[in-house]
Amino acid sequence: MKRISILLAAATSFAVPACSSDSTNPGNEPQPDAGVTGDEWDQLLGQREVDFNAALRIAALRLTGDLPTMEEITRVASAPEEGKRAEYEAIVRDYLERPSFARQIFYFWRDTFKMGENTELDRAPAFAAQLSVENRSYLELFTATENTCPTFDEGAATFTPANCPGNAPTAGVLTDPGAMKHFFGNFAFRRVAWVQETFDCAKFPIEISETPTDVGGASPYIGVWPFQSISGLATGRVDFLDVSAVVCANCHQSINHIAPLFANFDQNGVYQNQIAVPTPLDGAPLAQRTDYLPEGEGTAWRFGVPAPDLPSLGAAIAADPDVAKCGVARVWNWALGKTDIVDTLQEVPVETIQTQLDQFIANGHKMKDLIFAVYTSDDFVKF
Amino acid sequence: MTHVGYKTILVASLGVLAAGCTSSEIPVDEEGNTPPPGSTVGSEDNTFSHDNTTISPWELVDRLTKEGPPRYTSRVHSCPKVRYRTFGNVLASVGVNVGNNTNLSAGQLYRTGGNAMGAPNFANRIRENIAITTSGASRAFDIFAAAAPEIIAAVPTLERCQINGQPAALFNSLDQCEASGITCIIGVPAQATHLDLCNLTIQRASTPEVGKRLAVAALMAAAYTCE
Repeated sequence: MKRISILLAAATSFAVPACSSDSTNPGNEPQPDAGVTGDEWDQLLGQREVDFNAALRIAALRLTGDLPTMEEITRVASAPEEGKRAEYEAIVRDYLERPSFARQIFYFWRDTFKMGENTELDRAPAFAAQLSVENRSYLELFTATENTCPTFDEGAATFTPANCPGNAPTAGVLTDPGAMKHFFGNFAFRRVAWVQETFDCAKFPIEISETPTDVGGASPYIGVWPFQSISGLATGRVDFLDVSAVVCANCHQSINHIAPLFANFDQNGVYQNQIAVPTPLDGAPLAQRTDYLPEGEGTAWRFGVPAPDLPSLGAAIAADPDVAKCGVARVWNWALGKTDIVDTLQEVPVETIQTQLDQFIANGHKMKDLIFAVYTSDDFVKF
Repeated sequence: MTHVGYKTILVASLGVLAAGCTSSEIPVDEEGNTPPPGSTVGSEDNTFSHDNTTISPWELVDRLTKEGPPRYTSRVHSCPKVRYRTFGNVLASVGVNVGNNTNLSAGQLYRTGGNAMGAPNFANRIRENIAITTSGASRAFDIFAAAAPEIIAAVPTLERCQINGQPAALFNSLDQCEASGITCIIGVPAQATHLDLCNLTIQRASTPEVGKRLAVAALMAAAYTCE
């Protein structure tokens, strides 16, 4: 959970004085407010005012994909000050029950998963949307064992439950054939990156030791796994222990412990009884388990979190507190109009979403409740 | 175990900033986390040439300096463009025929504007781009300009804009702007400034009809720059 907040704070504290030496205000510097304590950013936050009609417009556009009606606008605008929040919340609750919300949340998940718009690629977004519409647990994305490949009728806004085709073990969207096909690539590494970035909101390297180790490279190995826990040329055909250019193991310590679990899905996303992904070696031969890990080394979600198969990987992901935080942060960024949390580094400090995160965890990770909490939060209704 | 995302960028950024923003050298990753962009372009002898592009540290520092730290930015609304599908819904909601095939009609401009307006490209694993771009904003403004006559004609008949059965109106018989119609098309209660700008646009136009079209297009463009 440490992630980057400390560094961001440090960077900011250096950045502002270092890059704004001009004593005149360049135009984008916040101005202090004598009535508000804290630094300039706290002061700006303190200067925001509640505007339920502005919030209603945004909520309507995001949750229903359309403008609020005049009747809704007027209900909020004409309510007495003390009654505006109640009117606003009642309308948001109504939005969440509409068919248009089912469509909007389906589009949200398409965007989140970077997949959709054909039958195969719509199943995972449809399953996530169904969990949201039915106010089920977010963790089912990783742990559900049946009906994880529903179809969604956009016109009627209805879901038709269905199991995924094929004979793969089932672990929510982690075993979705469409996702496996869409993110096919050498060694199944693209699938691992998709899972990591979508559900943990951070790129590799993700497991960082506080005591870097000299492994003979220009820079030290910073991983938490033993350096030799992944394959090099002694056990495999690709040298993941190479340090001549960069320390590959910094990322591959984690990637190689996950990827074999996704390696049985072939290029069409069909689960096979053996590894079915290629390598980038001459002739693109299929990967072998020893290419990833030495004999006897088990697969895992993280160091100390073994995952011998896909359902146990799903369970491990569901138990990772960073994954719940990531889910809340993604909904938060959607509501606040942010670009992608990973691609554009729109980080959400845990302090920002602590209230919603605590409720989410305490309330069984229910999706619709989370969305309501975010769209009615103090930050959402202030401008 | 710690759990670090883009530490490298910021470590690099700090190093550069400590030099007083004068260094033109590429930042060095002193901690050896994520390798700098381009450094994994290699061969089978080392890195197998895989992509590790990430956000530029210069862009990140620039953003932090201008917009503030995440503890601030995460708590305030951003200004994303209106999503492509939502844009179509809004057009239909204010009376525009988005199925219109007439060349350069609002509907035709919308339906052929997906690429310019940042619609998603899932076949290539690309999300919808919700950042405001020149191409997207230009196309949106073109659509609103083309849509204005349809909107003016439709607003008095739109059920969504009615209160207690009373229709909204954009203009009165004196060619003055009305709050109810503006509220209907922008989605928030019209303020005095909306009415002032609307009336001024009509007054300064060559004819009231041209002014009305300009006023509606301008109001829509302003209201839908951000979702």
